[in-house]
Amino acid sequence: MATMAAPVSGVHAESSSPSGIWSWLTTVDHKRIGILYLVSAMFFFVWGGLEALVIRLQLAGPNMGLVSADMYNQLFTMHGTTMVFLVVMPLSSAFFNFLIPLQIGARDVAFPRLNAFSYWVFLFGGLVITLPILFGLAPNGGWFGYAPLTTKAYATGYNIDYWVLGLQILGVASLAAAFNFITTIINMRAPGMHLMRMPIFTWMSFVVQFLVILAFPAITVALVFLMFDRFFGTNFYTIAAGADPLLWQHLFWIFGHPEVYILILPAFGLVSEVLPTFSKKPLFGYPVMVYSGMLIGFLGFGVWAHHMFSVGMGPVADSVFSLTTMLIAIPTGVKILNWISTMWGGNIRFTTSMLFGIALVGLFTIGGISGIMHSSAPADLQQTDSYFVVAHFHYVLFGGAVFGIMAGIYYYFPKMTGRMLDETLGKIHFWTFFIAMNLTFFPMHFAGLYGMPRRIYTYDAGQGWELFNKLSTAGVILQGVGMLVFLYNFIKSWRSGPVAGNNPWGAPTLEWALPSPVPDYNFAHIPTITSRYPLWDQKADELVKSEAETTVGGRLKTAKELGIPMPFPTIRPLIAALLMSTMLCSVLFIHAGNLPLAMTIGIGSFLGLAFTLVSWLTSPLE
Amino acid sequence: MTRFPRPRLRAGALLAILAVSLAACGGQYPNSTFLHWSEFASDIDFLWDRLLLWGTIVFVLVEAVLIYTIFRFRARPGAAEPKQTHGNTTLEITWTVIPAIILVFIAIPTIRTVFKTQAKAPAGAIEVEVIGHQWWWEFRYPQYGVVTANELYLPAGRTASFALKTKDVLHSFWIPNFGGKRDLISNRTNYLWFTPNDTITAVASNGQCAEYCGDSHANMKFRVYVVKAADFESWAAHQKGEAVFGVAPVAAPAPAAAPGKAPARKGAASGEVALADTTPAAAPTGYVFPADKLPAHVIPQTPLPAGLALDDATLAKGNADSGKAIYSRSTCIGCHAISGNPMSMGIIGPNLTHLASRHTMAAGLYPNDAKHLSAWIKNARAMKPGSLMPTLGMEMWDPMMKMKVTTGGLTDAQIADVVAYLRALK
Repeated sequence: MATMAAPVSGVHAESSSPSGIWSWLTTVDHKRIGILYLVSAMFFFVWGGLEALVIRLQLAGPNMGLVSADMYNQLFTMHGTTMVFLVVMPLSSAFFNFLIPLQIGARDVAFPRLNAFSYWVFLFGGLVITLPILFGLAPNGGWFGYAPLTTKAYATGYNIDYWVLGLQILGVASLAAAFNFITTIINMRAPGMHLMRMPIFTWMSFVVQFLVILAFPAITVALVFLMFDRFFGTNFYTIAAGADPLLWQHLFWIFGHPEVYILILPAFGLVSEVLPTFSKKPLFGYPVMVYSGMLIGFLGFGVWAHHMFSVGMGPVADSVFSLTTMLIAIPTGVKILNWISTMWGGNIRFTTSMLFGIALVGLFTIGGISGIMHSSAPADLQQTDSYFVVAHFHYVLFGGAVFGIMAGIYYYFPKMTGRMLDETLGKIHFWTFFIAMNLTFFPMHFAGLYGMPRRIYTYDAGQGWELFNKLSTAGVILQGVGMLVFLYNFIKSWRSGPVAGNNPWGAPTLEWALPSPVPDYNFAHIPTITSRYPLWDQKADELVKSEAETTVGGRLKTAKELGIPMPFPTIRPLIAALLMSTMLCSVLFIHAGNLPLAMTIGIGSFLGLAFTLVSWLTSPLE
Repeated sequence: MTRFPRPRLRAGALLAILAVSLAACGGQYPNSTFLHWSEFASDIDFLWDRLLLWGTIVFVLVEAVLIYTIFRFRARPGAAEPKQTHGNTTLEITWTVIPAIILVFIAIPTIRTVFKTQAKAPAGAIEVEVIGHQWWWEFRYPQYGVVTANELYLPAGRTASFALKTKDVLHSFWIPNFGGKRDLISNRTNYLWFTPNDTITAVASNGQCAEYCGDSHANMKFRVYVVKAADFESWAAHQKGEAVFGVAPVAAPAPAAAPGKAPARKGAASGEVALADTTPAAAPTGYVFPADKLPAHVIPQTPLPAGLALDDATLAKGNADSGKAIYSRSTCIGCHAISGNPMSMGIIGPNLTHLASRHTMAAGLYPNDAKHLSAWIKNARAMKPGSLMPTLGMEMWDPMMKMKVTTGGLTDAQIADVVAYLRALK
């Protein structure tokens, strides 16, 4: 391994790109869009975390009256919806955006404007779902929105409307982004960047985009049915008209289970970058890691009904879905053991990023084992809809997805901002999160097995659940402390952290050959790749031009000086996203009984959208 | 290398022992899923034990190797560059095959149990129709002609076969002590059966809704009393009969009893309603689960909102006869049925025929006594969010209608009368 000496050479390139609000509103730069995703998702993370805090305070003891039943139901619905759609997915998107072009040696994604459009659509969709809680009108049907509780007959208010519309808007964002990344990964790899040389994060992202494309149509169909039921009087889920509520459940979970892998695979990818770097060893069994990721994605479509063991599907279906669910444990187990083997024999450096990565391996194992416990259909009949399940999926999604993303944030922060996060604060953050996470979620296993159901706003005294709930509440408070430390570190380090240099970790993948932060054109020249670990195996001059060629007067050359054509910034994606959102939301006025206003806003937005799209398509790209 | 991993391993082992010992003791955890009170619960627990065993083995092995690895291979100053291994096919095949084998050991009993527990219920089962409502439970025993609510009596040693239906949204029928749950699906009938152990003489257990069903999902509980077969027969025989109170039927329909119309309160006050002289008869009562044998966890402790319950003096003045009259011409009869009171044939709310024989009310939310009953009649919606039962107390604030009850409200004295009537329905 010819470790490329990557000291703090490299120029801190902060000042070379334009700043100011307008530049952020009009940006089509994948790195800036990645940062927008990151910051927005962190905002929603705090929001969803506060919701969790109120939930836990309400459950701290029996028969508490901190919030009303209705408000509690809004809180748990929004906590789930927020964390799934507005935190973990966009945090993953932040990394897709920021990293994929850098990892494959491209100057941007395939469709930079579409990329900006995806972000703005996500933001508006997120606001449509989250803001109503400020008025006590938030969705209250659970993140799974089971019909018929979400139909007009049982949910007369606006609450569910915001959910139905917001999720459809978010779906557009995810689908547009998925097509964009697939095109980017297939078409825009640097010479020599074979598929089997792609960094593992890009591989996992690639798999995830296919999951998005195949899974989101299912929930879109489900949501369109529900929207038509609620606004236009159709009867897809109308019980009185003989509807079968299982239609919603199947459609939702055909989306919902792949969604779990949409949430976890990017984190797996990030950890697969982090562990080799800090062990100074290549990823153990790279091809198997790729194949197991694909297999998880593929099998992920064949297990949805394990969310429905209690609906009475009959013994054959229960057995089949038990077996497919058990099968999925095999590729997942392989990943765990390959990660451990990556560290085996290495020189492990315990950076904050590495600590989060190692913790993911340990915590996801717990979530995986409790997952196997659900896979056994009869056993699941005691577990489903109890706190045991809440414990399980928080080990998977908090211990897995969030810890993986945290590993990614500590790892890539220097590349994003040019500065290092404070390691001392980082370790305080890690240990508070690690302890708090287990304190919150481990006792839930017991609460569930001792009969505590989910989604209850209160519980009676003397049921044997008090202790577990007290521990969980204490854990969440501790998580809040950890989060404050992290936010402080994040803001402080972004402003005044130590300058990072190109490759502060001695990492092997292509993105670390670039200056930090990365100039808007990414690569002054497109490198030729001959290895899976170019920075460990290739010579520096094969990857980047010498400093003399890329800098002038102590700063990085601009794209213009290098003769690189760059896409123009444009406000059109933002306007298109806004108009698309208002067009969809115009149906809210149908609920209010004001059809003319609904028509006016809807048709007006549509015409505006059409005009914007024409202008978008006819204005020059670069 | 041995310095670090060992204390960690010991901590892990302690944790596992703690987990198992917690699982073993039931007393502290009355709603435990580990009690073998039916063969269904035992079958599931048998599977659980397997899952826990294999899960613990995998957990200990993986975490031990992980912890060993990170301590053994932590970076030391001046260490040589690690050997750049890229993989090992033999190893990777090994840890693909081993989990597959473990899964076979889980899969076989799983599938066996799936087919066993979902087979047809054995012959001679007692049939119970379970109907979910937002947010209470209706139990019907077609073989016995019994209709009751929120309290389920089952004979020990005889299979209970449940037909599960819902009147509105989805619910889920779950009695953790007796086995797994099964959802109530609109426009469908689901089935579930189990056989309470024949060694049981009398146990009381908690059941609850386990599928989110709206506002008061948390408050949709029920009680299960598994009793000796003879006691069950006694209970059922009595429950089948009309309400013990009110042997003589009402001669003529009370005036102003038309549903939807505000009941004429002044009628009651002036004693216009002619009622037969029906004092609560000391009729033979059937078996009821003895109150003094109720374990603490089935006695609701939900706090009663302040200012709702009537004081003892007012309650003591309650007259069952006038209570019946008031009940029979109030909105009560629009929703509730009382067999033996021909005015009361509603089907929206719980059947109240033998209300006073129940230990709890409002779907296991409150103890069933005069105090709670009076508060409930006064303002049910303040006691159970979203309840369909309207706020009836005069001048009370209805949290759903967002208004004060004026016309049609009941005075405290009238409520005391109705409570006296309902308390007489043994």
